[in-house]
Amino acid sequence: MKRSLFPLLIAFLAGPATAGVEDAIETYILPGYARLSEATETLANDAATDCTAEGLRPAYRDAFDAWARIGHLRIGPVEEQGRVLAIEFWPDVRGMADRTIAGLIADADPAVESEAGFAEVSVAGRGLMALDRLLNDEAYEGYGKESYTCDYVVAVARDLARMAFEIEAEWRDGYAETLASAGDAGNTTYLSEREVRQALFTALSSGLEFDAAQRLGRPLGTFERPRPERAEARRSGLSLALLVASLEGLRDFATALALDTPTETRAAFDRAIAAARDLDDPVFALVDDPQGRFEVEIVQQRIEAARQVAASEIGTALGVSAGFNAGDGD
Amino acid sequence: MSRLLLVSCASTALCALPALATEKGDILGTYADIAEAAYGDSLVAAEALGDAVAELLDAPSADTLATARQAWLRARIPYQQTEAFRFGNPIVDDWEGKVNAWPLDEGLMDYVDPSYGGATDENAYAALDVIANPTFTLSGEEIDATEITPALLRDTLHEADAVEANVATGYHAIEFLLWGQDLNGTEAGAGARPWTDYATGADCTHGNCDRRGEYLRSATTLLVDDLAWMADQWTAGGAAREAVLANEDAGIDAILTGMGSLSYGEQAGERMKLGILLNDPEEEHDCFSDNTHNSHYYDAMGIRNVYVGSYARIDGTVVSGPSLSELVAESDPDVDAALRADLDHTMAEMGRIKAVAEAGFSYDRMLARGNSDGEALITNAIDALIAQTRSIERAVVALGLDQIAFQGSESLDDPNAVFQ
Repeated sequence: MKRSLFPLLIAFLAGPATAGVEDAIETYILPGYARLSEATETLANDAATDCTAEGLRPAYRDAFDAWARIGHLRIGPVEEQGRVLAIEFWPDVRGMADRTIAGLIADADPAVESEAGFAEVSVAGRGLMALDRLLNDEAYEGYGKESYTCDYVVAVARDLARMAFEIEAEWRDGYAETLASAGDAGNTTYLSEREVRQALFTALSSGLEFDAAQRLGRPLGTFERPRPERAEARRSGLSLALLVASLEGLRDFATALALDTPTETRAAFDRAIAAARDLDDPVFALVDDPQGRFEVEIVQQRIEAARQVAASEIGTALGVSAGFNAGDGD
Repeated sequence: MSRLLLVSCASTALCALPALATEKGDILGTYADIAEAAYGDSLVAAEALGDAVAELLDAPSADTLATARQAWLRARIPYQQTEAFRFGNPIVDDWEGKVNAWPLDEGLMDYVDPSYGGATDENAYAALDVIANPTFTLSGEEIDATEITPALLRDTLHEADAVEANVATGYHAIEFLLWGQDLNGTEAGAGARPWTDYATGADCTHGNCDRRGEYLRSATTLLVDDLAWMADQWTAGGAAREAVLANEDAGIDAILTGMGSLSYGEQAGERMKLGILLNDPEEEHDCFSDNTHNSHYYDAMGIRNVYVGSYARIDGTVVSGPSLSELVAESDPDVDAALRADLDHTMAEMGRIKAVAEAGFSYDRMLARGNSDGEALITNAIDALIAQTRSIERAVVALGLDQIAFQGSESLDDPNAVFQ
């Protein structure tokens, strides 16, 4: 049963600062998860009909795009049961995915036979990054319809659709209300409405940090030792597309979260996105070349600039700065 | 990638915080005293490890190896309690990789089981095996490793080829040299390196026992040197102490940043949650020795120490003084009470993991796929760490530190070296 959003609207009429939170949920977060549900459901249905790599790639790209637009939301249902990493296990600094995928196939691990069984498998063998290899790596992509790999691909797609469905349902039937009822007696997650604003602002800020430090920083490596092989989803040729989708998603999120149209922040995002599109290099292979590297670094600097502009324009208006995030630490 | 901090508080208007009875300078003094004591204890314990290693190499036997392992385990206790200083203090964070880098591709150093595999996409030198190879090529350069010296480990091998998993120095390198790989997967048992890996002449197992001994001696020497340096930074006039005392609000923020970043991104996420999600026994912090339960326990204790302003030294004396807890309580007693309760709750959950592991159900076994009891133990501790992080954020707000942070024109959060 889908819950009406109407009570949510009522609950949010408390004050002007709540407008941003309400907007962010209704115009960005819930539609974003709905799109992820639809895209992964299509992927799972397509896989059930035709599991071959050739047939699945379009639905795969669409599902990854939907995820990249909301992947920075590290609160609520997506943080339960390790879903964030089960959906996309990246970066994979210890090369766990290769080992896990090869191991499952070599053992013909029966975990792929049931949803519950597959949900117990290491996140390194699941999700969008497993499909990046299975659908593109020459070691796997030629699999036939009767093969174990085919069953494995179907299981990954079904697992993604299950998680996306659960996340959307849990947002609609509970977590949106948890945000809306911040400060009420009994809400132990958010003790004040301010904490919700901070949590969402932290998602914005850390999303930009992730784009700069991971999506670009990992392939950049160091000047002496560039690492193009570390680009996200390079086997699918999606590295740049995912960066752009993420930045567009963050821009929409920032716009929804801000109380007034954040003109400076939007302009900073537009500069970063334009520079990214100009790269014309789907997998950041040009980090190997001094000039190409320079161009990638410019994108990185513009993303960092957008983060600072958002902090002073949106953070100040919301009365918050970024809190701790999962990227703190190593 | 640290939380926003403030650089400076040039305008007094921005710094108009409530006047409080507990002096911030005194709290920072306690904080620096705890750091000085804990790094000092780490040094003493590392020197004892150095002595035990010397005995092992002088007279290799099952007994001297066991004694060296015991010394390593003891050395971890004060060191892990210093980790709360890491993320709030750039001088510590920049140095930390020399002594506690993890995870590691141990095949860089010594022989490994065939199941380990070889070079990977991420690391071309994952199976270099320096102990067996006196000369080799590294990033296109011919390396003469006929003598395994502290300088070779520090300058050439550590983070070779700019790969962080090429760990050649520090506690975990020494741990590997004392225990060897834990090949039991998620079954019972730690690494089982035979003492004969350090035997002389015909008794030597796995070859190159003399080079292995040189490696162990060099790594231990470096650990002692590095800890001596850090302990010195926290003494009166030392750079780390001066940095913390230079700006009171920035110093208080550094305490909270260290607590929050270690609790959340590092310990709850990187060190604990990832292990469960990967079902990987190597995803435990002290994987060779099966000492992970202690490493988590004393990390959590270190976070609590800096908040309550009290640390029990390894000789039993207690270093304590005016605390951050008192300061937060003056601003908002509820926030302080909740944070203290959260820290205590984390200690209780970590204590459970420690008790169960010491009773024989080791941390790596808790990580096995489908082991719901182990998963619940670890998940409860993760949840406790996440809860205390939220309370730490509330303490930041209670002290008004976030207001300074976002009103400041710049952030201390040095936007990554790559942007420079």
